[in-house]
Amino acid sequence: MSGRPRSVLFACMDADTLGGIQRVTHTVAQGLAERGYDVHVLGLHRAETPFRYVRRPGYRQHVIHRTPMGGLSWLGTRRERRRLGRLLRELGPGFAVLTSPGVVSRLKDLLPERLLPIGQYHGSYEHARGSWHLGSVRGHYGDLEQAVFLSEDDARLFSEHALLPNTWAIPNPLPAWPERTATLTGHRVLGVGRLEGVKRFDRLISAFAEARRTVNTVNTGNTRHTGGGGTDGDGDWELRLIGEGTELERLRAHARACGVADRVVFRGAVPAADMGREYANGSVLGLSSEHEGLPLVLGEAASHGVPSVAFDVSGGVRSLVVDGETGLLAPPADVPALAAALARLTASERERRRLGTAARAHAEAFRPERVLDRWETLFDQVTR
Amino acid sequence: MVSPAGGTPQSVINGPDCSVVVITYNDATRLPRAVRSVLGQSLRNVEAIIVDDASTDDTARMARRLQREDRRVRYLRREVNSGGCGAPRNDGVAAARAPYVMFLDSDDELTRHACKSMLLEAERTGADFVTGQISRFYDRSGKTRRYYPELFTRRRTVEGIAREPEMFLDSFSTNKLYRAEMLRRLPFREDLHYEDHVFTTELYCAARRFAVVPWVVYLWHRAAEESESRLSISLNIGEMDNVRQRIRAARLSDGILRENGLGHLVTARQRRFVRQDLRVYLNPLPSRGPVWAEEFASLVRPYLAELEPAVFEPVDPVVRVCCHFILDGPADELVVAARSLSEPKAAPRFAVREGGRTYWGTAQARELDITSLRMAELPYSATRLRHEAAFDTDGTRITLTVRTYDPFGVLAATPDWSAFMEFKNHRVRLAPRAQDDGSRLSEVTVDLSRLRQGRLGHDSHYDPKISIVRADGRITSDRLLVDPAAEPVTIAFPWHRVTVRAQGQAAFLRVRWRREGLLRWVAPLLGRARDSLVRRLSGPDLKLRVYKTLIRVVPPREDLVLFESDVGAGCTGSPRYIYEELRRRRVPFDMVWSVAANRRNFPSDAGLVRRMSWRYLWTMARAGYWVDSHGLPLAYPKPTGTRYLQTWHGQGLKTVGFDAPDLRADFAEPRARWRAAVARWDALVSPSAEFERIFLPSNGYEGPVLRYGSPRCDVLVHGDEDAVRRAKDRLEIPRGLRVLLYAPTYRDRAKSSGMSVRADLDMMAEALAGSWVVILRTHPVERYRVPQRLRHFVRPAGSYPEVNHLILASDALLTDYSSLMCDYAVTGRPMLFLIDDWDEYRRVERGAHHDLPAIAPGPCLTTTEELIHALRDLDAVAASFAARYTEFHRLWCSDERGHATAKVVDAFFGPAPRPLPDPVENGASAGDRRGAKEREPARSRGSAGDRDPLPPGWRR
Repeated sequence: MSGRPRSVLFACMDADTLGGIQRVTHTVAQGLAERGYDVHVLGLHRAETPFRYVRRPGYRQHVIHRTPMGGLSWLGTRRERRRLGRLLRELGPGFAVLTSPGVVSRLKDLLPERLLPIGQYHGSYEHARGSWHLGSVRGHYGDLEQAVFLSEDDARLFSEHALLPNTWAIPNPLPAWPERTATLTGHRVLGVGRLEGVKRFDRLISAFAEARRTVNTVNTGNTRHTGGGGTDGDGDWELRLIGEGTELERLRAHARACGVADRVVFRGAVPAADMGREYANGSVLGLSSEHEGLPLVLGEAASHGVPSVAFDVSGGVRSLVVDGETGLLAPPADVPALAAALARLTASERERRRLGTAARAHAEAFRPERVLDRWETLFDQVTR
Repeated sequence: MVSPAGGTPQSVINGPDCSVVVITYNDATRLPRAVRSVLGQSLRNVEAIIVDDASTDDTARMARRLQREDRRVRYLRREVNSGGCGAPRNDGVAAARAPYVMFLDSDDELTRHACKSMLLEAERTGADFVTGQISRFYDRSGKTRRYYPELFTRRRTVEGIAREPEMFLDSFSTNKLYRAEMLRRLPFREDLHYEDHVFTTELYCAARRFAVVPWVVYLWHRAAEESESRLSISLNIGEMDNVRQRIRAARLSDGILRENGLGHLVTARQRRFVRQDLRVYLNPLPSRGPVWAEEFASLVRPYLAELEPAVFEPVDPVVRVCCHFILDGPADELVVAARSLSEPKAAPRFAVREGGRTYWGTAQARELDITSLRMAELPYSATRLRHEAAFDTDGTRITLTVRTYDPFGVLAATPDWSAFMEFKNHRVRLAPRAQDDGSRLSEVTVDLSRLRQGRLGHDSHYDPKISIVRADGRITSDRLLVDPAAEPVTIAFPWHRVTVRAQGQAAFLRVRWRREGLLRWVAPLLGRARDSLVRRLSGPDLKLRVYKTLIRVVPPREDLVLFESDVGAGCTGSPRYIYEELRRRRVPFDMVWSVAANRRNFPSDAGLVRRMSWRYLWTMARAGYWVDSHGLPLAYPKPTGTRYLQTWHGQGLKTVGFDAPDLRADFAEPRARWRAAVARWDALVSPSAEFERIFLPSNGYEGPVLRYGSPRCDVLVHGDEDAVRRAKDRLEIPRGLRVLLYAPTYRDRAKSSGMSVRADLDMMAEALAGSWVVILRTHPVERYRVPQRLRHFVRPAGSYPEVNHLILASDALLTDYSSLMCDYAVTGRPMLFLIDDWDEYRRVERGAHHDLPAIAPGPCLTTTEELIHALRDLDAVAASFAARYTEFHRLWCSDERGHATAKVVDAFFGPAPRPLPDPVENGASAGDRRGAKEREPARSRGSAGDRDPLPPGWRR
């Protein structure tokens, strides 16, 4: 195998900031390093508070500028070129994975021929077209060996609307794969994410309030007819929001306005190591964001056998949730539809089990080994 | 060559994935470029098979050299030239070792991902072949133009040609990737020129499934955009054979379709012939002359005569006219018609109008019907004349002899007009003399060396025009057609060389200026030096830094007011009325307007500064007051002591501020910037309680609110007859027609796309042109060009300076989600809503605070048919919505009582010196008509509203 290209360089704007792109990058870098690749992770800038993703990295890390992201002076640009040149000379034949449009436009002309450039885009097509990203992807990614998106749907949309001939799809890997699954008997809806505007947890709270009303009404009816017992709507449902952010007070007020202040629990941030317990105690996961790329919370919930209800906002969401088979999707921002989906799952433990089991099977494709296989397939594809 | 990632190319081990057959004949200079585009493919595992059709030049040596450079190159040489492309392609296919094959001509190139992208598509879809976008690459200008892009927009698989017969327009063999075994079953014909056409017809018959990809896979190099229009005689003769071959290929193709049981697709394929093949000869026909045209017509006539009438139905009327002259002659009429096919798409020389129809020329035949172009019904300023000119030079003087045709009798119907010849910024009076045939003849001589050129001379081109100026000053202009065969004439004088020539296939007059001598070097150098200096000295970062220093150093002037409306787009909206009120009160303020680039229609007595210029920043820093309707540059802090009046520009159901899409995305920075920008406001004009309920929390604004109604709506309460008359005159609205103001808002995800104009204007014109005229007010961020065929019915008014005057000039409003609806409600006039994308708009596109169908003060429609129906019965429809209208008016307009401007000015700038008694409500105000309850004007909140009691209203 001596002739095969074995170097892989991952380049980020800032590789040590706490964030989704970085977490994925370090996970994949470590995985490939364990498979024998010579892996380097490059950050163009240093984070203000660097975060360590992998305890014993099998790859090397490099930082070009010791300053956080921002404009570069003329001298800074010179320094960047010099340091990059030195680093790139060290690397043997292989691949350079450029993880965002900003990195692509800064590095693509500096790479030596033996490093084949692969561009990644970590957002959905829907998000890109609302910002400068679509123009940048259209302008630069077509020159690369391959343009990698989060899902097949996103790849297709970019190929049509950015006229990219070289699209490809690789999902992000799940951080872990649990042995045991959730019991799904508890009455808890989970919402996981930063409490920021883009996550629109207000909509999840509205939908939850609406669903609870429906289910309670139906159950009251059932109780009257069947004499009680049997339904799992007994015991009131709770919405548990895991995460912190600036919207906390607004969301609290919104929960009060919806009349569910006592049923919405703001759990705050939970360390990654403890998330398993949270999923294990959940029965349904709700996702009501304005934008999502490939929201791994759906995959994490699925890996625990927890089914999800979500707004169908991106190809990434569709790749994680097959509507009616591994979870339920509602049209974007359609709160009544999301409420109806929530009601359907909170009302029936059997339905939760059916979807949850299928969800776990479906999430297999996002296990780290499978995702690493796909990276290796991509490398074969690029050198085909 | 080493495989880019190192190691041995796989082709040597396993055989290639794709063979590219490069055919060549005596093209040794360009062959390497073509072959290298194959070797540079992102699919490394390719082979390039050069098939040399017995070249007599250096091709063999060049091919050997390419072989030495890269082992993936193979070379086949035919002993005898085949005279076509079919035989060498067949040879290449026979030699191909890969399961997939592509074709490439030695003067063209493949794009870098062509092979791999189509190969993957073929593997993914199981298609028999994959076809991709061709792009023409003009070597001289370096520009590219895609070929029929609408065919390739969607990435898709097509289950047989019968599903999409318009794909017959794609009849190239080069933009496709084929399964090799399929190609071997479909050899190219070797005995004709347009073997592509016959081959693709067979291919379409044979393929059960094919895939279409939207990206460019093939670059078709064109030596120059115009070379084909100026052929030498010998080439002309060759071209006639070309015509013969193309018709033969068309006939063969028709036969193939019938043999394959696809006779029902013959019409579709023949439509391709009229739309595409015929145009190849018709477009350059003017330069070939009548003899050639005669011969061409006699060649094409028999085939055209065979075609079903249905073939011509969807075809451009002028092409249909050309077909008529091909079939029935005379040839010189054919030449005249062919000159109207390309830009500037000139009017005919003569036209007949009969029974509401318009016919080309002097006869009235069905094939000559050009009514659908609507050239005869254009408003004066858009009207069309045909000027045919000849030019001659004498020293630096050029003499033009112009024959002007007025096919639609515009000049005859205009009592008093004068004609001018326009050279960029130089105007020469013409004296046209009427001729026997109804045309007018004029002659003009201009000394080019005497035209103004600016200090550093002039280096560009322009197209002279003839303008006809009517007594009221309105102008209509047209370019001049010249003899397509005329040789370009060059005139040289000190510092300049001017070339006068026929441009384009229709041959219109173009004048090109070039600097000469020292100026040629100095001018661009100076220009570049200036640009770089300007760039360095006025970059956005530097400007912001200097501004921030300025506001620390210089104190604001109490008597300087900066006005800005719509980011500098005009003197309009609430700032305009506040400005006028301050003028009227003779407040001793220095008042300055912010003007975006290329905007006009500002009051002549106001000071103007170009937005974002240094003077603008200086004014921002010094002004004691800012008055604005959108947002002064967001990153610029307000100087201490300056007071900022935010008037905002509308209210309605759209989400705004932090809830609008720009700020909803997953970026924190724009939100922080907006938060800081809002914090600059010292007072906010509020038109209604409902506005405050939505707008304040959406923008996180907690400062003083002035709720007296909108200054911009006062005029809607009082009316303005003068302005209505001016607007109708300026937009050329004929008397007796009802006016529909069509004001769609933009779509956040499709700005500048023209997608917001969702009504089918063609259908509306067809149904309503006799009784209605449409004023189309597109949103400022939208781009939409009204096509000429609609100009008789639609008046573009996207850049009309004052929308209030359009509102007052209209009889009804058609909109979708524009905030204009709330202003319009002040007039009490009917409104219609075309909201076919409401669900999309409400949920994903923009977001809404109200359910429009539930509160709309008029019918919510989803199709143009419904709209036409509603407009035909507008009075009854409006009556049925009276109650909803009242409710809508109460929600948004109950504070609009016609005195907002005065009250806002009082509250913000201090009361007027000379109070007048409160005017009696003039009974005509819409508020009263709609039954709004008379009540005390709403109290403003916060500090600005603490002037109690409120000063009385002010009347103009």
